[in-house]
Parts: sequence; structure tokens; C-alpha cells
Amino acid sequence: MDTLRQILSPDFLLRNSVYTSVLIGLACPLVGVFLVLRRLVFMGVALPQISSTGVALALSLPMWLGADVTAHSSQGEHTLAFLGSLTFSLVAILVLAFLERRGRGMAEGRLGTAYVVAAAASILLLSKNRYAEIGWLDLLKGEVITISNFDLTLTAAALAVVLLVLGLFYKELLFVSFDRDMAATLRKRVLFWDVLLYLLIGLTVSMAVLSVGPLIAFGFLLIPPLTAHLFADNMRQLMVLASLVGGIAALLGFAIAYQWDLPVGPTDVALLGILFACGWCAQKTISIARRLYA
Amino acid sequence: MNTRDVDPSRKLSGRVRPDEPMSESLITLDNLSIGYNNQPVLSGISLSIACASFTALLGANGSGKSTLLKTLLGLLSPISGRVRIDAPVIFGYVPQTIQFDPLYPLTGFEVALMGVYERVGPGRRVPQAERDFTRECLKATDAGEFARQRFNELSGGQKQRVLIARALATKANVLVLDEPTAGVDAAATHSLLEFITEIHEKRKLTVLLVTHDLPLVRKHARQIIWLHDGRVLHGTVAELLTPERMAEILEMEMS
Repeated sequence: MDTLRQILSPDFLLRNSVYTSVLIGLACPLVGVFLVLRRLVFMGVALPQISSTGVALALSLPMWLGADVTAHSSQGEHTLAFLGSLTFSLVAILVLAFLERRGRGMAEGRLGTAYVVAAAASILLLSKNRYAEIGWLDLLKGEVITISNFDLTLTAAALAVVLLVLGLFYKELLFVSFDRDMAATLRKRVLFWDVLLYLLIGLTVSMAVLSVGPLIAFGFLLIPPLTAHLFADNMRQLMVLASLVGGIAALLGFAIAYQWDLPVGPTDVALLGILFACGWCAQKTISIARRLYA
Repeated sequence: MNTRDVDPSRKLSGRVRPDEPMSESLITLDNLSIGYNNQPVLSGISLSIACASFTALLGANGSGKSTLLKTLLGLLSPISGRVRIDAPVIFGYVPQTIQFDPLYPLTGFEVALMGVYERVGPGRRVPQAERDFTRECLKATDAGEFARQRFNELSGGQKQRVLIARALATKANVLVLDEPTAGVDAAATHSLLEFITEIHEKRKLTVLLVTHDLPLVRKHARQIIWLHDGRVLHGTVAELLTPERMAEILEMEMS
């Protein structure tokens, strides 16, 4: 409890990291719900990895172009990284979703290949960039330490966009996800809403990758919606519960990592795994008890 | 009522009776060729579906029922020819329940509420009046009692009632039901079809029912579109379900 109080204090040195982790923990599950319900979990694995390749490429570009890399400000570097991450996420999700819609070939194979090639490309790009090792390899490992005010602002803005779009267009996004044929017969612009959802997922993933790395991004996209799904009776409960599980796990994960000097990302994901396992056991126990006393 | 075999070169075309009076046409298929990726599944379809008719779409698996249905609903573009809508149409589509992913934690009410979404613009909450209207539709289909339960936990017949309520919530004038009795037990099938017939008569709804079930068609439908071996037969139940004609079709199927 003391640790929690300490990390929530406004004077805490790593407060930006705490706030960012919690914001990512709240935002990722909201779009992750749609990835899970649309059975696009593999997309959730591949996308953060592709996004981080965008970061690596964007950071390597100035060096390749012969620019003085050391002269770049941290904010300029982060803007570049954000643009790389966002571009790769959006292009990847639109291309992969288009291929998915066409329904040809093996989707899992395609996504698996995209994941593994993107992972290899990230490492190769960073290994040839002598400045990258300073912080970006940490990012790939999920070390949430060096979060600037700029990163925090971007993450908060992304969460605001996610909340706004989901709040305004929830029924359209749900409708085209659940029953696209019916939506089409009622003259809903199915493709438009699909693209909007994919853009939202792409934006959230790129923000998450930039702030906390691909490992945590995927963890928060997938595990909170699965945990919430065990207990939710309707969509509203699913989304609120998933977001809460993500936010609480991010906060507790940070506290545990700080207390025992562990890397934050892997701690968060391991904690999410434990929460999911506990949730599964609780749900099974409840359903057995209900059957016994029915 | 007209009877048309849309492939006049075939054996059955001699039974065309174009001299019969036609009801007011709602949907007309004009020399339609349908299929996927420019590969026709059915060609030369010309028929019309009358207002307030009860038509059964019959055919074996792979005969093109789903392709024709999707084309009628505007989900699939025809390869050639056209679908002419002769009067304002709102389709109340009742898909097969098997196509819904059980992963969605939606209640029966939430599913039925989707029927009003067309009238509620993007970014707007569903008004209370539309919610109340959805509840009325659920009551009308006897689905009010289980509408608060999870949709994926309902029985086949209960799901169908929720989906029909959703179709009614669209204020549809054409009810399109894709094999509504698949996975539904005999008693529920009977009451479901009785209900569909009742709303067809009371609300003057045009009904297009896709099914395999011949006894059901004989009892409830008035018109039949029978897809067989690349041909489309269209006529009344009395005309198409005669023993001779059935034997002829079944003989063709056997051969």
C-alpha cells in the first residue's frame, strides 16, 4: 500500500510512466474487445510488432540519410517514432484486414509471417543503429521508464480519441461486427465503419507500442477482454470490465515492479495472466456452485 | 399467378402459363445471372415476387439459394441482368442463427434493438421510444420473457423469435427468413411457422422463406421458387407440388 501511495504521489520521479501505463491499460482493452470478438487475436500479435518495426525504421532513417543524429531533440525523435509507428500500424491493419475480407489463403499463416518478419526486421534495424540501443531496445523489452511529457500527452490524447469514437459510434461498430449482412441490408456503410474501427485499433496500437512496447501492447489488447468475457453479461459490462482490469493491472503491475525492481512490461503481462487464471477458476467455481444449488 | 420456368430451352418450360393474372409486383428479377467472381451459379432468372405474397425458396444444398438470397438483399451484385424493386422495400432479414458468433455477450434485447439502428443516426443514442418499440416487437413474437437472457444461450426457436422481432423492429415490409427451422425441434417449428403465417396475414408482410422442408412449404407458402440443377422454377404450391411434377423433379435430381 505504501508503494502504491508512493507511485501515485505527484512528486514521484517516474509518475509519467505510471500515468502512461494506466492510460494504455485502460485504452488497449477497449479496442481489444473488438479484436477478440472479431476473432482477430493474431492481428493483435502481429500489429504491435509491425508497429515497432515502424519505430525502428523511422529512427534509422536520419542516420541513413546522413543527418546528425545526436543533434536531434528528444521530442523530434519521438515525433519521428510516432509517425513511423502510426504509419506502419495503419497500413498493416488496412492491408491485413483487406486480405482477411477477401478470404483467400491462410489468414493465420499470413499474420504469423508478418509477425516473425517484423520482429526480425526490428532487431536488424536497431542492431545497425548505434543510437538505438540507448532506449529503443528497452522499449522492445517493455521497460516503461523513459516516458516524456510528450509521450504522456500523446497517450492521453489517444485514449480520449478511443473513448470519443467508441462512445459516439459504439452501436455502428458493434452492428457491423456482429451482423454485417443485416447492417448492409439496412444500408449501413459497412466498409466505412470497418475502416474506422481498424484505424482506431491502429492508432491505439501505435500509441501503446511507442509508450510501452509491443509486449505490453499485445498483453493489454488480449488478456483484459478475455478476463472480462468470463463475467460480462452484456457488451457494456464487457467493455467497462475489460478497461478496468487493464487499468488496475497496469497500476498494480507498476507497483510490484517498483517494489521488487522488476521490468514493468513483463510484470504487467504476468499479472494479467494471473488475473485471467484466477478469473477462470472463479468463474468455473461459480458455475459449479450454481449447478449444485439449482 | 404466373408460373415461369426461366430457362425456356429446358424440358419444364412447356408448363409456363403466362396468361394468369399477376398481383402487384414488388421485386422483379430481369434476366438475372448470379454467382461469385464472375462465375455464374444461376443464369437467366426472370421472375417477380408479388406484394404481400408468401414465397418459399426451395432447393438442395449448393443449388444457389444463398446466392439468390444475397443478390435479392443487395449483398451481392448480379453478374448480369438486374433486380428491379418496384415499390419501397425495407428488408427484415432473419439470417440462420448458426452464423452468429457465440462470443458476443449480447442479450436478446440488444440483438433485437439492432433492428432500429437504421432510424437512429450515427453518434446518436437509441431514443426511449425506439427501445419501447423493440420491446413491443419482442412481445409480439413471444420473446419478451427471455429477451434479457444471453442470446447465445437461447434455444434455436427462441433465437428465431428474437431475430424475427429484430426484423419487425426495422418496420420491414419484406420478411426474408433463411432456413428459420434449422436446428429447431418439431413443436417449435410448428409454432414458429404458425406465427410467421399469422404476421404475414395480419400485417400484409411479403414473406420469402428459404427452406428444405417440403411439408412446411405445402402448408404455409403460396408461391414457390424452386432451384434445381441450374434451373429456376416459379409457381404456386398447387402447380409445383403436384405428384407428377414432384416425381419429375425428383427423377431429375436422381439422374
